Amino acid sequence: MADASVHRVSRKRRLRPLAWLALAALLALAIALALGSVGIAPDELAAVLLGGGDALHQTLVLELRLPRALAAFGTGALLALAGALMQILLRNPLADPYVLGLSGGASVAALLAMLAGASMALVSGAAFVGALVSILIVFGLAHGTGSWTPTRLLLTGVVMAAGWGALISFLLAVSPVDQLPGMLYWLMGDLAYAGSPWPVLSVAVISLLVVTPLGRTLNVLARGGLQAAALGVAVRPLEWTLYLLASLLTAVAVTTAGSVGFVGLMVPHMLRLRLGNDQRLILPASLLAGGTLLTLADTLARTLIAPQQLPVGVITALLGVPSFLYLLSRSR
Amino acid sequence: MHKRARSVSMAVLPLTLIIGLGAGLPGIARAEVCVGDDAGHELCLEAPAKRIVALSPGVTELLFAAGAGERVVGAVSFSDYPVAAQALPRVGSYDRLDLEALLALEPDLVVAWQGGNPREQVERLSRLGLPVYFSDVEDFAGVAGTLERFGTLAGTPEVGATTAASLREEVATLRERYANAAPVPVFYQVWEQPLMTINGEHWISRSLELCGGVNLFADESTLAPRIGVESVLARDPEAIITGGMGKPDSTWLEAWRDFPQLTAVQRDNLFFVDPDLVQRATPRLVEGTRQLCQRLEVARGRR
Repeated sequence: MADASVHRVSRKRRLRPLAWLALAALLALAIALALGSVGIAPDELAAVLLGGGDALHQTLVLELRLPRALAAFGTGALLALAGALMQILLRNPLADPYVLGLSGGASVAALLAMLAGASMALVSGAAFVGALVSILIVFGLAHGTGSWTPTRLLLTGVVMAAGWGALISFLLAVSPVDQLPGMLYWLMGDLAYAGSPWPVLSVAVISLLVVTPLGRTLNVLARGGLQAAALGVAVRPLEWTLYLLASLLTAVAVTTAGSVGFVGLMVPHMLRLRLGNDQRLILPASLLAGGTLLTLADTLARTLIAPQQLPVGVITALLGVPSFLYLLSRSR
Repeated sequence: MHKRARSVSMAVLPLTLIIGLGAGLPGIARAEVCVGDDAGHELCLEAPAKRIVALSPGVTELLFAAGAGERVVGAVSFSDYPVAAQALPRVGSYDRLDLEALLALEPDLVVAWQGGNPREQVERLSRLGLPVYFSDVEDFAGVAGTLERFGTLAGTPEVGATTAASLREEVATLRERYANAAPVPVFYQVWEQPLMTINGEHWISRSLELCGGVNLFADESTLAPRIGVESVLARDPEAIITGGMGKPDSTWLEAWRDFPQLTAVQRDNLFFVDPDLVQRATPRLVEGTRQLCQRLEVARGRR
């Protein structure tokens, strides 16, 4: 009985922050629907959401704001979760979803597609393929023969990222001038081009279902591979699962909105500073907090200096850096 | 595409009717207007457009020149000509549109810049039922044709046709005048860092051609290629012309004096033209072309 009550308390302790984060997520989505370069009063917004309201407001809220807010939420959620997984996998606090060169592969393929004059859907498809190619190259090289360590994976990925970076610079240098703005916005991350939000959202839900049962095992792995192995964890298969899962999440996110920076690196850290390092809590919390941050950031990106539009990556860093530094200084 | 344009015009019908009634002109028969745009689509409107949003500074200028200025209700950043365009509500910049602000203007026609505006965003406008005209003007013929089509779409066909006709006439006069002019090898500098020029398909190159200029980089593959200083030295232009960074600024031209072996430097054929007149394919390009031709005449005089 005593054991059960301890369990219940700790579960309650995990659920409370998650409930708050879920509330924050809903609030962020509401803000995203309410704000835009056209002012819509709260009662008019309510009318639209109940299926009525002005025809123009219906278009603005349901056709423009809602899909974009959901795409932002899904993308942020995937990036933050992928970042948390990468940090556990590589046992390195500097790891983010892009550290292993994945966004580089996606970017090179996307820029090539843009150069070829492909439609946005094809550009997204190319980005996904580029991300997969990068995943497989890094996987193949790091897997190789002989001893495998997270360090080897990290080095392989970082070097690949540098290689992709050079190719991106090359493509930018030879591209026609009129293509450059679109390319730069894609590289900075931009939700204006995001299509349907359902792929990111469904992948976010599925990935949550996949990682939730892994929480306890990941807690052990986070303490180190040797300890985990001693405690009976099949370390290597688990690590490869983590790598592939995090990579696929990132690939879907990058495909939706280009390489949005910062979310994947900082959100898991911010949560760890505040909530401790229990993966059973951190992983779902990352999902919610990442989605919330990107939704808010994108709302600001499209309203801050409207009608001028900013790339969302600018805002995620501007919002995230001070709040992260604040949390860091308070945690001492 | 024809089908798409039809369904679009159906969707606009109620709007145009409302506007028509609001303006107190319910009795006047409205003829459907149809034009083909530069993307090869046939675009039909139930009635001439009354609320037009222009998605590039050049398009704005062309619309005003076609007599549709009063019907333009929105434009993008840097739409600075004519002066009346400066006061128009903005819908973002040409490369990033604020779709909300655009829809809020309730346009009955959107004129997009094909190749300049983000395709995904413009396609979304089409999907939302707005008629979109894709404009991609490449030369004087394109400017004149566009003026006529914009006049048709905006219900000012006479203004469009008159402006187009006088433009064609002025260009023909220029062409005739310089038909036998001696060729002058020219380097047109678009930018300094990185050093950029234009290829033969650009309208500036065609304007130069019209009065005997020979663009030394005409056969480059991209419209505005980045090139090395060495390739300019190797081709040894007789004249170097630039629009500079907006205001008359000779620093770009003075930099060429480091290479006294260049014919252009030896003869002091380093020329500035007003970039506003040459860098947009609009009726003002005629004046810009006159400036280019006059510079080439000066260069011929220094032989």
